[in-house]
Amino acid sequence: MEDIKNVQQKGISIKLENLTKIFYDKKGGKDTKAVDRFDVVIPSGKLVGLLGPSGCGKSTTLFMIAGLLEPTEGKIFFGDEDVTKLSPEKRGIGLVFQNYALYPHLTVRQNIMFPLENLKIPKEEATKMTEQMAALVGIAELLDRKPAQLSGGQQQRVAIARALVKKPRVLLLDEPLSNLDARLRLQTREEIKRIQKETGITTIFVTHDQEEAMSISDEIVVMNFGVEQQKGYPQDVYDQPKNLFVAKFLGTPPIGVFNGYTKGSDLFIGEEKILSDEKLKDHQGEVQVGIRPEGYIANTKGSFEVPYTFIESVGRDISLVSSHPECNAASFRIILADKTVITPQTMKFDIRKDKCYVFNKQTGERVL
Amino acid sequence: MLEKKKDYHAWLYLIIPLVLLSIFTFFPLIKTIIISFDNGYNKWQDAFSFRFSFDSYIAIFQYPPFLQTLKNTLLIVFISVPLSTVLALLIAVGLNSIKPFQKVFQTVFFLPYVTNSIAIGMVFAVLFNLHTGLVNGVLEIFGIDKINWINRNDGFFQGSYFRKMFVLQAYILWDALAFKILVFIGGLQNISKQYYDAAKIDSTPKKRVLMRITVPLLSPLIAYIMITSFIGAFKTYDSVVGIFGNNWEMTKDIQTVVGFVYQMLRADSINSYSYGAAAAVVLFLIILLFTGINLWVSKKRVHY
Amino acid sequence: MNTELEIKKQNTSRILLKILTYTFLTIMAIVIIIPFYWMVITSLKSATEVELFPPTLFPKEFVFYNYIEALERANLIRYFINTMIVSISSTILGTFFSIFMAYALSRLNFKGRELIFTLLLATMMIPGEMMVITNYITVSNFGWVDAGQGSRVANGPYYAMIVPFLISIFHVYLLRQTFKQVPNELYYAAKVDGTSDWKYLWRVMVPLAKPSIITIIILKLMGAWNSYVWPNLVASENYRLITNGLRAAFSNSDTGRTEFHLQMAATVMVTLPLLIVFIIFRKYIMRGVSRSGIKG
Repeated sequence: MEDIKNVQQKGISIKLENLTKIFYDKKGGKDTKAVDRFDVVIPSGKLVGLLGPSGCGKSTTLFMIAGLLEPTEGKIFFGDEDVTKLSPEKRGIGLVFQNYALYPHLTVRQNIMFPLENLKIPKEEATKMTEQMAALVGIAELLDRKPAQLSGGQQQRVAIARALVKKPRVLLLDEPLSNLDARLRLQTREEIKRIQKETGITTIFVTHDQEEAMSISDEIVVMNFGVEQQKGYPQDVYDQPKNLFVAKFLGTPPIGVFNGYTKGSDLFIGEEKILSDEKLKDHQGEVQVGIRPEGYIANTKGSFEVPYTFIESVGRDISLVSSHPECNAASFRIILADKTVITPQTMKFDIRKDKCYVFNKQTGERVL
Repeated sequence: MLEKKKDYHAWLYLIIPLVLLSIFTFFPLIKTIIISFDNGYNKWQDAFSFRFSFDSYIAIFQYPPFLQTLKNTLLIVFISVPLSTVLALLIAVGLNSIKPFQKVFQTVFFLPYVTNSIAIGMVFAVLFNLHTGLVNGVLEIFGIDKINWINRNDGFFQGSYFRKMFVLQAYILWDALAFKILVFIGGLQNISKQYYDAAKIDSTPKKRVLMRITVPLLSPLIAYIMITSFIGAFKTYDSVVGIFGNNWEMTKDIQTVVGFVYQMLRADSINSYSYGAAAAVVLFLIILLFTGINLWVSKKRVHY
Repeated sequence: MNTELEIKKQNTSRILLKILTYTFLTIMAIVIIIPFYWMVITSLKSATEVELFPPTLFPKEFVFYNYIEALERANLIRYFINTMIVSISSTILGTFFSIFMAYALSRLNFKGRELIFTLLLATMMIPGEMMVITNYITVSNFGWVDAGQGSRVANGPYYAMIVPFLISIFHVYLLRQTFKQVPNELYYAAKVDGTSDWKYLWRVMVPLAKPSIITIIILKLMGAWNSYVWPNLVASENYRLITNGLRAAFSNSDTGRTEFHLQMAATVMVTLPLLIVFIIFRKYIMRGVSRSGIKG
């Protein structure tokens, strides 16, 4: 226990090796494989977002890192230590639950001091640490209130303070922003980023909101069906999605996906030739084509003709809500900066090559 | 339209129950109190003497057997209730923490609840019997002589009030666990697992989890149990009769206040009902007092 | 820190705690079971074996005849019949009345509803002993008491044992809470369909409150089966309930010795029916008890 107190302020790197979690159904039903051979290294001192839709295994992964769930297979390393079989209280982590899990019968101060008392830190020092942490997260004036008297945002800050006060080497957050209203979300995610920068603790947070993850993470890891889909800098993952899922998951408004086919080195949607590339020669036949909303250039002699249903003005940009027979969804969006180019009902566009992705129809793997 | 208060047919549903309640609950309440203040109440003729006095009350407080029952009752209340509550809590926490065999244990612990107090009291009497009881049999193995726990003086083996009280307390404790354990288990299962997860992350030692998380979160239930148990304990009667029988002369050293009340119903003197009524009222007032104290203490220490 | 060592330490303490918990629970469970075990084996010992000291932990041979002898000696069959009559009547009637009262207090609107409910709540607190003396007088005046020479009114003791306890305020309270959980909208919809209150009670309320009603029925049955004091007061010999006959029947007044083997056989027979009810309806009983705690 002493070691945790003396560990340096800077966080530690985390390595997940072949991590697998299977939930066995005791009543004879189907077993659920929540996490499947998850393999990732989280660099020390970074803020990493674990992103994916509901049920993709991200919370399960988080709880395995915390030690609340035991992996079926695989290993977890904190730095060089294999902590796979180590119980949570000995791992030196702080965890902020989605519902905060603040002890309702204790005041804010008592909640924050709780872990320090467990670590047998003398009362004076513990009080000082508590007050410092309260100031850091911005709740210094609420120390003598009880959780029920606080708003959601305040409760969450208390939860963060409680997690950080024992100077853990890893901070874990489970869907930190999902219980907050929209306005508070923006504010709070900035707070999280700021706190993480000031303390330098390796931080992993789990979310299903891609905008959230994109905005504050140093790195994001995208998950689906318990399997890692892609990881990297947010912008890179956005610009270079490895597969259809990642392309569809990131980006607001979402990417438009069309049925297309390749012939030689040409890419077609319907009758229209969109672009050409040598690499297409290796992937002949039917493909899925993803075009980012910002990938359309208005051109009266453009290659792609699009009928649009109506114009949506978002203040900053104009987006056209359009439909197309080859589109996989009922509608897709095109974002234009300049509204003067809009012609009524139908427009023609050129497609930017760097905003257009071609995917294998069966596997979803990116081809171009 | 639906909310009109002139709905008289509701009274049809209530008429018989209310009549019954009036005859057997409300009316007796008042009459018993009146009888307690009327020392000359003639029970053979159900006739009041219409002389208001505190005589009955004064008399019973000077009557050693009544005082003995008062002492016994208080001992039962203040020893068995806290003991059984703490023990039940520990058992419930233990039960909650294991998964295999949990249902089996639960069923076993609940068995005493469905049994007849008198019947099992007799079993205890058999267990603690001087000459053939299991308890003395076990003591024999350790080379200890037979002990007269509950029987009459038997030559060399003298009876003892202390030992009788011990056996009584043991039985009451045995009997009282079932209900409490069940209620506590229900309460424990209502505590969100997340608090325990958070406590794990906070490196909380097990004892601290119990005292600083489980108990405070369970405190409303604990308060409820203590209040109802206190009230129930003041009314102890069946347990005593089960072990010792209901012959007043032979058991009056170990009887309870309720036992005294029932004895007054069977006694010879013409005004015994008045004494019994007075004892019943005294019991009621004591219960009222302690419930009040309990509620006041709960307000201060229970976390909602 | 030395992770390997930490893992070993934590695993050992975890196992230690488990062992401790199981040991504690097992010891407690054994303590709870001992009286039951002793009751059964004593009931199967012979008259001589029962007198042995140190007592044997297992009967040398099973004397099932004890049960027959106990039945004959103590007129137990008569007592069983009486107990059945009393418990079944009071349970059925009492449950109906509880349903009526709870319905009126929860669903129907009438002047004085709140007053009556508060009155009832207040009386819940009062110990039954306050009412006993007067009830005894009342019931004697009705001629229901049998003090040894029979009662003035035929079958009087049955009435004495059933009627005063038909209404249990606690059960009414429980049922009212359950009824209150049925959404108002259902009632309004039924009213719009022209449903009478009576029909609504039996077609909607009661089916929805089935678990609570079953719990109440079982609790009432248990209460009647285990009652001792009052039946002891008002009934004698022919009307006695099973609890009453147990003690005296097997004591030999000359020697002051009790025939434990017979007494225990009788006790087993008294305890068994409820145990069987318990095993069948375990869920309802346990749920009803723990729910009463959460309400409190």
